[in-house]
Amino acid sequence: MVVVENGPKLHNIVVCTLCSCYPWPVLGLPPVWYKSAPYRSRAVIDPRGVLREFGLELAEDVEIRVWDSTAEVRYLVLPERPAGTEKMSEEELAALVSRDAMVGVAKVTAPQTGGKA
Amino acid sequence: MNGVHDMGGMHGMGPIEHEKNEPVFHAPWEARAYALNRAMGAWGKWNIDASRHAKEVIPATEYLRMSYYEKWITGLVELMVEHGLVTRQEVASGKPATGAPKATPALTADAVARTLGVGAPTSRDVAVAPRFKVGQHVRARNIHPAGHTRLPRYARGKLGTIARDHGVFVFPDTNAHFLGEKPQHVYSVRFAARELWGEKAGRRDAVYIDLWDDHLEQA
Repeated sequence: MVVVENGPKLHNIVVCTLCSCYPWPVLGLPPVWYKSAPYRSRAVIDPRGVLREFGLELAEDVEIRVWDSTAEVRYLVLPERPAGTEKMSEEELAALVSRDAMVGVAKVTAPQTGGKA
Repeated sequence: MNGVHDMGGMHGMGPIEHEKNEPVFHAPWEARAYALNRAMGAWGKWNIDASRHAKEVIPATEYLRMSYYEKWITGLVELMVEHGLVTRQEVASGKPATGAPKATPALTADAVARTLGVGAPTSRDVAVAPRFKVGQHVRARNIHPAGHTRLPRYARGKLGTIARDHGVFVFPDTNAHFLGEKPQHVYSVRFAARELWGEKAGRRDAVYIDLWDDHLEQA
């Protein structure tokens, strides 16, 4: 398993254009969209468009790295830590991380209520 | 093979349907299809590459029409017939013929986690020299094998850079056809988005593809 880290100017997204390779041991079975023709065909040629469909707009100066899982190596995205979470515990931070964020089609966002913890 | 499964870069597949709170299986038969595939794989008659190829050879029109687990069942039936585990008559009738092969020992529920949990690693601990080094420029070969290959069409003939050496793995292109494991190095190869898709692609963007020594040549 290779973990690829997101940053302020770098965004990673994982796909399997040839079939449906996915980090099962960590994320379980993949959702239907991940295995579907629309995602598999477009993630490599139009990652910005795909991310927009997931509600994620990335600035032009953010480098996008698409990981096509063509071998038995599995990829997992380490999401960028959102601002305003500096005082949160490991457990609280883990609760913010979604499956979609670890595939790279979503970001992790701080709780709206902020500071409640 | 230049099949419809090799869909990286294709247009016309429609919007992505992102289902909220999606269940793991959408119907009980899907869970059964999944379990059947895992249980039949435990016979050890085929390997993961042959199993992938069995889905790739589903005719293109059918492949695009079928749901994921329909493809799984279709591929599985072909493998089982090919390897003498069932006959088409048995599949059609749903009843085993007299003298049909049975797994010994049978895969019982209590053995499932132990048998299926370990998987079948495809990395190989053999001393094979890598043909390329990290940082080296390479070209994905312009090949069009009629059988199984993990070199996607969209990368063929394109220039890339070796980003990482993953080590030695079984070569799916031969293993899928039971022509030997041919262990060799697998690399993460970085292809600039503009090399793959032209001037309209993001200047900084890139696609990383895992490729084997036999898929690459010196640039």
